[in-house]
Amino acid sequence: MKISVTALFVLLTILQGAAQLPEPEIIMDKSRELSIAGTISANITLTITEKNGSTRNRTFAMSTKSFPEDVGKRYIKFLSPPDVKGTAMLIIDNLKTADEMWIYLPALKKTRRIVSSEKGKSFMNSEFTNADMSSPPVSDFVHKHTTQSGSNNQFVIESIPVDEDKADEYGYSKKVSYIDKVNYQVQKMEIYNFENVIYKIIEIKGIHNLPEGKFIVSDMLSSNLRTNRKSEIKMTNIAEGAKVDDSVFSIQNLER
Amino acid sequence: MQPSGLISDRMTDFVIRNRWIIITSCILLGIISGIIIPFSETDPEIRNYIPASMKSRIDTDTIENEFGVQDMVVILFTDSSILERENLEVIRNIDRALSRMPGITSRTSPFTVRSIKSEEGAMIAERLIKRIPEDSDETRELQQKVTGNRFAENIVFSHDMTSASITAFIDKNIPETETLRKIDSIIRCNPARMEIRTGGLPYIRKYIISDVRKDAIKLVPLALLIMLLILKITLGSWRSVIMPFSVVMISTFVSMGLLPLIGWKMSIITLLLPIIMVAVANNYGIYLTARQQEIIRSEPSLSGREVLRRLYRSLNMPILFSGLTTIAGILGLLTHSIIPARQVGILAATGVAVALFMSLMLIPSLIYQTGPGDSGISKSDNKNLLLDKLLKATSRFIIKHSGKILIISALVTIILSTGILIIRIDTNQENYFPAKHPVKMTSELINKKFGGSQTISVMLEGDILSPEVMKGIDNMTRDIEKMDGVGDVYSISLAIREMSKAIFSEDEKGYNSIPDSKEAISQMFELYYMSGEPDDFKQLINPENTKAHVLIKLSDASNANIKLIKKEISGFSGLFPATIVTGGYAIIMDDFAGEIIKGQASSLILALFTVFILLSIIFRSFKGGMTGSIPLAFSILIGFGFMGLTGIALDAATALLSSIMIGVGVDFTIQYLWCFNLNFKKGIGYIEATQTAITTIGRSIIINAMGVMAGFSVLMFSGFLSIRFFGYMVFISIGSCLIGALLIIPAFILKFRPSFVEKDFERK
Repeated sequence: MKISVTALFVLLTILQGAAQLPEPEIIMDKSRELSIAGTISANITLTITEKNGSTRNRTFAMSTKSFPEDVGKRYIKFLSPPDVKGTAMLIIDNLKTADEMWIYLPALKKTRRIVSSEKGKSFMNSEFTNADMSSPPVSDFVHKHTTQSGSNNQFVIESIPVDEDKADEYGYSKKVSYIDKVNYQVQKMEIYNFENVIYKIIEIKGIHNLPEGKFIVSDMLSSNLRTNRKSEIKMTNIAEGAKVDDSVFSIQNLER
Repeated sequence: MQPSGLISDRMTDFVIRNRWIIITSCILLGIISGIIIPFSETDPEIRNYIPASMKSRIDTDTIENEFGVQDMVVILFTDSSILERENLEVIRNIDRALSRMPGITSRTSPFTVRSIKSEEGAMIAERLIKRIPEDSDETRELQQKVTGNRFAENIVFSHDMTSASITAFIDKNIPETETLRKIDSIIRCNPARMEIRTGGLPYIRKYIISDVRKDAIKLVPLALLIMLLILKITLGSWRSVIMPFSVVMISTFVSMGLLPLIGWKMSIITLLLPIIMVAVANNYGIYLTARQQEIIRSEPSLSGREVLRRLYRSLNMPILFSGLTTIAGILGLLTHSIIPARQVGILAATGVAVALFMSLMLIPSLIYQTGPGDSGISKSDNKNLLLDKLLKATSRFIIKHSGKILIISALVTIILSTGILIIRIDTNQENYFPAKHPVKMTSELINKKFGGSQTISVMLEGDILSPEVMKGIDNMTRDIEKMDGVGDVYSISLAIREMSKAIFSEDEKGYNSIPDSKEAISQMFELYYMSGEPDDFKQLINPENTKAHVLIKLSDASNANIKLIKKEISGFSGLFPATIVTGGYAIIMDDFAGEIIKGQASSLILALFTVFILLSIIFRSFKGGMTGSIPLAFSILIGFGFMGLTGIALDAATALLSSIMIGVGVDFTIQYLWCFNLNFKKGIGYIEATQTAITTIGRSIIINAMGVMAGFSVLMFSGFLSIRFFGYMVFISIGSCLIGALLIIPAFILKFRPSFVEKDFERK
């Protein structure tokens, strides 16, 4: 009887605590909104570490700019390795329609458009997906607080794709995000496979703070527990708000 | 008293004194061995049949370490129109369930395959089926997308759109049986109008495990039952039957019990072990029991001790020699490099040794303990009379036509032995199964519509992205693709070609070709990875771009075809700067075929040589050794010739035939020559000695041969074709050994009167 009373007390405390937390959708939406910056320029190093320990590095210069109607554009130019140096990409992130990608291949002197709407697809052959590189719409998931949410100064929110098709599109069954209670910055994400087992962990190792509470992730590490491959993206020379001409984000600019 | 008589007397005294110890220890040995047998495990992996140190296994392991195990499960869907919505929905549901299964590392299905195409200036690398077609127009559109798609046609959809396939590579870290059980359960949960079949090596292994068990459960009791009936018919009373039968049971248990005790596993080949034991282990018991009946028939009032003494005097040595030559013949298998063949050799030889020991110890103990016994002819009188008549007629025929017998036998042997020239070797596991077996049916469908279920892997090591190497890989791919018996070839160069089609228009130079610079190739990959997945090419190129894999699917996995492809591949060595390693299941099988031939030859030579030496010692003459080997040579030539003429292939099971045949068949000759010699020493001359030997020991030899043939005849009911053929071949081989011992040898001795038969075999 004593145990039952204690258990009831603990349960009530948890429910009371949960009841005081903001709605998970509001948290996710706010975190997403704060992570969308305006114009940014940076140098990026992508390091892919194979399970045997061998690594491959790619460095590129990137500029991003927000355009009207929720359109974000990214211009990427490869700096190394030598055989892909000069390769340039233009990525247009459309919120409502499929993303568009253009790539210029200097050795072939060709620009080609790549069409892909699969958010679960790998980003540049790394452990990151396109969805990891952008901020997917909050409405694609059903969000809820986990029992840990609220403790350790963190929101811990479980996001489940709204239907099977979305699950296929993103390539996972569940994502658990650890979000700072104060600044709404994501600290870690755990991605679950369809057996409901964690297969990928994304750790946010560096944040570059911007004015008005906004931020960009400057260092993140994705570890695939199934393949034992790791990929890390590091940003350096971050310049926020720098004036970048709209013409940079054009197909014509790719071949320059 | 002669020395052999002295030994016989000593053995008689020993057995009488220690009979209870002998009986109890034999029974205990049987019980303990019987308890251990159920702990045996089955190893269905045919690659484990050949030593891990062999080049094909080392090379295959090297390739698999880099590009993963190439064991794939294939799920086949067949319907008159596979692209119908209802069918595609089931395929998608199964594919989705497989994608969420931990036992599957990667898969290729209609829903994972990508199409790389150029459309309005864009390279589109997208899933072949983004949405299941809802009307006939969309279905037609999908059909057009499949046709000509290098990654879809004849890979996930058959050319005639009547079949679809999902190929799943399995995770070796998870028990295969568990993975297959889950796949079967997924298929069961998705009932469909279309037909769904499963195949691939993991399923072949699954069926081998279950069919080996089924065969063991069905065939061993059946063999024992048949043996019991044969013994009852030939020996008459149950008392006489139970003595050799108990030897059969205990020695079979001992040989089978040794399997888990040593830590070896059951295989298709090991399935032959209990049958060999059931068929062979009764031989010595039959000779003893039949002789005991003859002794009682001639002198019914003899005491137990006297019966044993006479039994030992007349049969001690020939039985011992028969046993030793059988063991020597079977031990010929030790030179085989096929691992289970060696194991069968050791276990069967041990079993025969136990049977020999028990026949000389346990049976006399039982005879003494149960009294001198009956003459055994009360109920089988008529049969024995019939057999006696037949033997008398045979002896008369031999005496009259010995020359003709030898000429006709030589002619028949020469004609039949021509078949050896066309003997076929078959190591394809699919051919273990009869035509109606699910494994066989699925394999045939895969071979017909999806390029084949068996593969050759070629690993190339070098700077893969360099145009020289990439063009070399491309030449190899295109060359092999054109060969007969090759279903499909996959290589990274094909992916490059597909990418080039999406980058250049048909009238441009770079269309459907390998670029001339490393930078261009590297940038093509960058382009692809913008829309592809890291795992898309993991089977074709390593992440460091230093190793590439060319996967060749075989629609004809015959050993002759594998040899041709292997030769073609080796022709590329040195043509471009990359080292070439060739492996894969089909290459292992080719090595396996080579090992079968080598093993067959070496075991045959060793068995014949050992038996020749033993016969020379027994008959104290090299001529005797040669003469005794005649029926064996005759049977070997006829046996292999028959195989060639009837199309029965030399395979993992039939490769054991010659050693077993030599081991078993030599007994008949020894028994006959020994008996002839015993009679000849009485001074009755060649003709009468021949007549007496055929009508006395001939009976035991015929009973024995019938027992062996009956024991092995159960193999004809095996679920494996190879084992069935072994059963047919034993019939032919033992039949020819019998003819050799009771027709050719007597005719040869009568015609040539070799001096060794006139010596006293028993004299020291």
